[in-house]
Order: sequence, then C-alpha cells, then structure tokens
Amino acid sequence: MNALIALLGDGHARTLWMLARDLGTTESDVKRQIDYLEHIGMIRKVIGDGVCGSSCSGSCSGSCSGCPSGGSACKGCLPEGGFQNMGQMWELIPQ
Amino acid sequence: MSATIALLGQPNSGKSTVFNALTGLRQHVGNWPGKTVEKKEGTFTRNGKEYAVADLPGSYSLTANSDEEVITRDFIESGKADVVCILADSSQLERSLYMMADYAGINVPSFLVLNMADVAKEQGKTINAAALEEKLGIPVIQISATDSKKYDSFFAAMDRAITQKSVINISGLEAALSKVEGYESIKELIPEGSVKNVSSMWLGVKAIENDKLVVDQLKEALSESTLGQVDALRKTSGGALATGNSKFVWIDELLDGVLEEKKEKVSISKLDKLYLSPVWGKPAVILTILLGLIGSFIPALPLMGVGSAIGALKGPVANALAGAGVSDTLIALICGVIIQSFAYIFQMLGFVFGVLLVFGLLEEVGVMARISYVFDNTMAKLGLQGKSVMPFLVSFGCTMGGAAGSRVIDNWGQKVLTIALAWAVPCGAAWSVIPMLSALFFGPGAVLVIIAILATMLLHMWVTARVFGGKLVKREDRFGMIMELPPYHKPKWGALFRYVLGRTKDTFFRVSKVVLLVCTLFWLLSYSFVPGADPVLFKIGKVIEPVTRVFGMGWKLFMAFIASSVGKEGALGVISALFTDGSFYTAFSDAMSGAARDANLGTLLLANVSKPEALAFIFAITFNMPCVVALAATYQETASAKWTARIAAYYTAGALILSAVVYHIGLLIW
Repeated sequence: MNALIALLGDGHARTLWMLARDLGTTESDVKRQIDYLEHIGMIRKVIGDGVCGSSCSGSCSGSCSGCPSGGSACKGCLPEGGFQNMGQMWELIPQ
Repeated sequence: MSATIALLGQPNSGKSTVFNALTGLRQHVGNWPGKTVEKKEGTFTRNGKEYAVADLPGSYSLTANSDEEVITRDFIESGKADVVCILADSSQLERSLYMMADYAGINVPSFLVLNMADVAKEQGKTINAAALEEKLGIPVIQISATDSKKYDSFFAAMDRAITQKSVINISGLEAALSKVEGYESIKELIPEGSVKNVSSMWLGVKAIENDKLVVDQLKEALSESTLGQVDALRKTSGGALATGNSKFVWIDELLDGVLEEKKEKVSISKLDKLYLSPVWGKPAVILTILLGLIGSFIPALPLMGVGSAIGALKGPVANALAGAGVSDTLIALICGVIIQSFAYIFQMLGFVFGVLLVFGLLEEVGVMARISYVFDNTMAKLGLQGKSVMPFLVSFGCTMGGAAGSRVIDNWGQKVLTIALAWAVPCGAAWSVIPMLSALFFGPGAVLVIIAILATMLLHMWVTARVFGGKLVKREDRFGMIMELPPYHKPKWGALFRYVLGRTKDTFFRVSKVVLLVCTLFWLLSYSFVPGADPVLFKIGKVIEPVTRVFGMGWKLFMAFIASSVGKEGALGVISALFTDGSFYTAFSDAMSGAARDANLGTLLLANVSKPEALAFIFAITFNMPCVVALAATYQETASAKWTARIAAYYTAGALILSAVVYHIGLLIW
C-alpha cells in the first residue's frame, strides 16, 4: 500500500489497470488496497453532485443543501438507474 | 437459551440473508441503545434447543471508526455471544477476508462461513474449505446463503465451534506482524488478559492503529509509563498502513493452496488500448468529442426548426395586430421582444438538447470516463478534472452547450471554473463574425488575426484559471487520482431521454426568464417612444464616447459591443444599422435574430473604422460575455447569481482591457 500511496503522490490520474500494472499485482489486489486505504482515511471517494441525490433536499430549482460541494444537482434531476456511468474515483487525502 | 450466535461480516457479505434464513419470522428489529443503527435479533429452534441470533451491523473492520464498528466490538467483547459466525464473500475472498483477519486475536469462539459459493463457482473459483479450516483452526464451510434448505453444514460448523470453543490460530498473522516496527515490543508491554476476551496481540495491533477505544482500555489496564512506551512505539510503527499490510500478507498466505482461480491477466480492451494510449489517446478523444459535437446537430434540428417557425410568426402577428389597431409600441414589444426572444431561445435550446443527448450517451456507454481520464493530467494544471475538456470543445460550437455540458463535472468549484474558462473559447457565433471582419479589414492578414485570437484564448484561460482558481478549487482537490473506469455497455435509452428532456425543460424555463428580462431592457433603451426623439441608447452613446475611445471604439462600435453580449452574430446587425443610420430598434432586433447585414456594410465600415479600431472591436466582441443565453445557462449550472455576475463582469472588463491593448498595439503598427 505504501507503493500505491507513493504512486498517487505524483498528482497523475491512474486507472486500476495501470496501478495493477505499475505495482506488479492484480486489479483485485488494488481494489483491496483501495478499500483499506479508504477505510483508514488515507484516500477518499470523489463525491460528486451526481452521487449526492439521495441526501439532497429540494429540487432542481434550488441549491442542493445535502451536497458536500453545495452543487445544484438533486435527486429529481438524475435519471434512476442510468446516466451514472462515470466510474469511480478516489483521491489522496493530505495527511 | 442454548447459545447466542452473532453474525459478523462486511456489508453485502450476506449476513441478513443468513439471519432471515435462521430466524424466519421470529425476529425483532429495533435500534441499538442510543444509536440510530438498526438492531436485528431473532431466535430459532433446532433439535429441541433454542438459539438466539444477533445480526451485528455491517462494517468493514473492528476498528472503532464508526457507530457500527463500535457496536459490533462492544457486543463481541462483552461476551454476549457464545459463538461468532464470520461471513465472507467467496467470490472475492482476498477483499472480504479482511474482517476475519481483523477478528483474529479475539478469544470468543468463531467459525467462518464462505458465502456466495454459487457466484464463486460461476467465476471458476475453487475453494478448499477444509484446507483453510486446517490453517485457521476454526470450522470453515462454504455455502450459498440464499439456499435456505442447505444449512446442515452451517449448523454442524456452529455446533463444532461451540463445543470445541474454537478460536483462530494467529501464529501466521503474528509472523506477518513481526515485521511491523515496534509490534513485538508493544505486545510484550501488554499482558494477556488486560482486556476481557481479547488477546494482547489484538490489543497491540489496535494500539498501533491508534484505535481510540483500545487506547482508553489500555489507559485503565497499563501504568502511565508503560502507556507512554506504547505510544512512543506506535508513532514509529507505520500505523494502520503497516498492520493492514501484514493482514493482507497473512490472507494471501492463507489462500495459497486454498483458492484456485483462473490467473487474472492485467489486460484492457482494444478500445481502451486506443483511448488510454499515451500517444493516440488524446487524438482519439478529441475526434470522439468533435464527432459528438457534429452529431449533436441532428437531434437539435427539430427544436431549431421550432425556433425558426416562431421567428417567422413575427411578420404575420405584427400585421394582424396592426390590423386590430394595436399601438406600434405594443406591436414592437410583442414581436421584437417576446416572439423574437422565444425564437432565439428555442433555436439555442435545440443545441442544448443535442449536446445533452449526445454527451449523455457518451457517458452512458462509458466513453466519458475515458475522456475524463485522458485529459485529467492536462486539466489538473488548470486545477480542473479531465472531464473539463468536453465543455471547452463544445464551447467552440456554443458556449451555452459548453455550460450545459459542464454538468458532468462532479465538483462544484471545478464546474464553475470550467464554465468560467469555457467563456474564453470563441463560440460558433463569434466564428461567424471574426473571419468576415478580419478579411474585410486585413485581407490575407486575417489568418494572423485568427491565430492571435486563438493564442489570446489560451492565455485568457490560463489567466482566468489563476484569477478564479484559488477561490473555486481547493488545493486538496488536485491530488493524484485513482479511476475505476466503468465497463462499456449498452445505453439505457429510457433513463437517458428522461434526463435529457427533464434538463431541457428546466433549461427552457430558466433561460426564458433571463432572456426576456435582458431583451426587454435593451428594447426599452433602443426604442423611440416619442417620434423624432433620440432613444436612450443614443444619448448614452454620445455621453460615454470619450470613455469608449480609450478602448479603441467609437460609441457606435461600443453599442455593437454591448449588443454582442446579447448575441455575437447580432453585433454586425447593430453596426450595420448604426453606420447606415438605421433605426435603433431595428438594430436591436437584428442583434437578436443575427441577421440583416447591410449590403454595403463593408464599404461603410472601411470608410468609417480604422484598422486599429477594427482590431480592437474584433477582440472586444470575441472575448466579451458570449451571449445572454450562455449567461442564463451559467446561472443554471452554477446555481449562483454571485458567481454568474462575477464571471460576466470579469469578461466584460477583460474584453475592454484587451480591446484597449490591441487598439494601442494597432496604433503602433498602422
């Protein structure tokens, strides 16, 4: 996991496949490390407006008080079961 | 009660399925005392004995990071459970065995249930549960919890764990932990039995992980000086990262010879080989976006046609109203503002619909995530995500489409910054004006003007990123990213169309308000309510001309510059009317419809406008606020009147500064 953290330190984006390749391991192992690093608070999921639907209050006409970013996307704006195919992103949390 | 069984596992490990299968209707659901975490308890009878079952909250581990984890730990440590059933997902043992590894060292009897055996089998995985049992020293079985008729092995394992009081053999884990700096010393400092039901190994590991509950327990169990030694050793141990590594090493050792699966190849699809290629990735992505942009015109056509049809109503409606004796002022207001505004709005709405549909489709099938990845590193230099490149490219066609397209950016600050930068990209309307004016004034030198505009665009984006980036994008937003790219799949058309139509409808209502407001204001300023009297716009123009000259523009060009805020292509209509002494109302109407250039405009402009003034004007309208519809779209996407106004003011001021600079450079040249 130290190697994974070190790789992220360069500020570049990498896919799971690239991390597995660069770390000489498998994507399953990378996913396991991500789970753990997220759990111990070293990385975090990038929570986007598109993900906050369930915690939103209000509608598209107002700002979204439930969103961490204060964005404007709300549940009513998002199609259920679709248009959420941007994958998942994690970022390093400054320690 | 014969025994109490606690079900322990990570979320989605199948605890609830097992709980329901065991208890059926004999269950009670409530909350854990003082917490909002759901508490599920039940009973079942077997061979005449009654058993209690507690479905512990799903949690990743036993570290006290959340209410769920604290509740789970308290329950186990309290000794309320006679046996703990640890559940793991057979289809991803590498990951899901972490809970078992974190439980290792707790002295409450346990057995391991490898759930989802059917899924693992489908994946071609073979698990030797007996071999794992031998390594762990506790009963291990593999089941599919959904098959409630096949729980015999579960009950057998449960009985064995209770009667044998089986606890996990931690020798392998201890060997892995011995490589953690300070672990051995910490363990020695913590006597066995310091805390009920847990080993000194477990306490030592949690101390290294700085688990708050364990630290509190050790405060009671150890002397102050010993505690100080533990704390000092912890600080140099590598913390949770080191213990986590050890647990994964142990899990891998446990699975060696236990789990057989097809070797996972580190490979990618052919399409990803193209998109993720360091050489071809960017060209492929740019081509995809450009094709998407071109393709977006097709679904845009019906709404654009509606817009044109509404615009065509102006004449007949004006005639009908005149025939009905309606005043000229009211006719002008209805036809020149209301009908013209809606014609304009629908035409632009067509483009928004097309862009949302095409780029929504790209997201649906999984391409947008690749676009985001390919440009992430480039965009990061501006404090943005890779996805920002899409709105920029769309803005070459229409800034409103670019603003609407910024919706795919999930961070609000980055979204606002993206829109702010997208405004610097000359839109299709600007590109219909720039070449014409450049060719008129500079002949073959027009190419140099266009190159200068593109260079200025890049500089403008860089400066804008510096100006707004600090407030909009936090420093911590710019760290390296891990991206789990979604698999390519067929789009869900229903969901996509619901989204696009919903967004288009929302855009229509919001944009209509802004466009009607601004257009009415311009109309009021440009209309002569008293025959023969100069409209307000003219009066203002004469007053401000000394100032506008600083920016290289006479008042007529300056009015055209202001009109370009409404619609850039309309700026030509305005200067056409003003330089040919046309009516101001007509000029304004032309600004909205983007039409009506005087046939002799070229001759008139060359006679009345110098080259430096022309150059200043070209730069001023190119980098001015894109149009009133883009302004409305920006407000809609940012949901911030403050930021919309800030961006608009910045671009208006920036355009004037640029025109002043360019004008004075022009004076040096010509």
